[in-house]
Amino acid sequence: MTKKITYNQDELINLIRQRNQRAFTFLYDNYSKALFGVINSIVNSQEEAEDVLQNTFVKIWNNFASYDESKGRLYTWMLNIARNLAIDSTRSKHEKIKSKIQSTSDTVYQKNNLYFDDIAHESIGIKTILGTLKEEHKIIIDLAYFEGYTQEEISKKLNLPLGTVKTKVRQAILTLRDLTKKEFFQ
Amino acid sequence: MNKHEVISSGLLESYVLGTTSVEENELVHDLCIKHPSLTNEIELIEIALINYSSQDVAPINKEIKNKISDKIFSGTNTEAKIIPLTINDKSIRVYKLSIAASIVFVITSIIYVFSIQTKVNKLHGELSKTMAATTNLEQQLSSQQTALIVATSKLQILSDPKIKTVGLKGMNSLASISALIHWNTESDAVYFNASKLPATATDKQYQLWAIVDGKPVDIGVIDLLNDSTFQKMRSVKGAQSFAVTIEKTGGSNSPTMDTMCLLGNV
Repeated sequence: MTKKITYNQDELINLIRQRNQRAFTFLYDNYSKALFGVINSIVNSQEEAEDVLQNTFVKIWNNFASYDESKGRLYTWMLNIARNLAIDSTRSKHEKIKSKIQSTSDTVYQKNNLYFDDIAHESIGIKTILGTLKEEHKIIIDLAYFEGYTQEEISKKLNLPLGTVKTKVRQAILTLRDLTKKEFFQ
Repeated sequence: MNKHEVISSGLLESYVLGTTSVEENELVHDLCIKHPSLTNEIELIEIALINYSSQDVAPINKEIKNKISDKIFSGTNTEAKIIPLTINDKSIRVYKLSIAASIVFVITSIIYVFSIQTKVNKLHGELSKTMAATTNLEQQLSSQQTALIVATSKLQILSDPKIKTVGLKGMNSLASISALIHWNTESDAVYFNASKLPATATDKQYQLWAIVDGKPVDIGVIDLLNDSTFQKMRSVKGAQSFAVTIEKTGGSNSPTMDTMCLLGNV
């Protein structure tokens, strides 16, 4: 089920810089699912998620010159693009709906709250892997991973001390690492 | 921060999640150079997150990959292709035109060559006919000239005032035939002139005799090569009459009176 990714980030980066077609294939085959999972948790429909995924890879490819490996992981850079495009897509849809229904002026548009609510609903029962991930961990990891919340933002949002958030993020990821390991040994 | 402090701080998780600041990113980058094993730790975090969000994902439409590939590769390709394509278009048009022109030219040439060939054949036939006609005319002219020369010489002979013409009358089987002897009384030349003589048996020949002082003198056998005979015979003096007999081929020394067929007195 879970594909083991052969990590050779430097080689892959070089191939992408050469506009190598095999590099795209590798990139898509290894990262599309993970990025799609992130996108799909932000947008509302499969169709929209697919559109965003398409735009994400086009943007990754066309803007690759702006990637600097000294400033972050390749996957992290792609994740940021995917997240931003997904949020943009959802926002533009909400904007359209908002303008259509002519919402009142006192509506405070808080994207973080809005999306957090959406994700909280959608995520329930979808991620079966979370059967072994505690609900509090899942909420935190989803905010950080899918929404791009900083630990400070999570701390404020969930009204938890920053140190606790840091610990929980680390614990959540350690659990995920264990699950990954288990899958490899299965 | 030592390696273990870094690992336990949660900084690496934030780094992979993309929630770290620019300064923190630079710190992690420097630490990874100092402690290469940190990169391995980062990769494990990354794999865990990738597996997490890949889990239970609805299947992605297979066309998406092709659509992206088309967008990112055909974009540069079409630009690169468009230029040669327009050039190709033009050159293809030129090629097509020149091929069409060549075909038209070849067809026209073939038709032209055929029509010329036909004309040449026709002219060749006409030329052959003309040449045959010319040959025919030449032959006619030649025979006419011969005839003219013959006639002129006859006329010359006959218009001589010294010529004496003696008519020979047919006897026996040649009763319907007549002949003339032209005799130049000065030069003694004798010409035998008959329009037609029936053929003799193959071993026989006509022979002309002059009767001089009651005796027959042989003045030659008659050649029957032509329809009309105008033949110079041997000269004779003081002939009183002429006679033709049928003798053996080559002639006889003395005439056979039984076979006398023409006779005329001077």
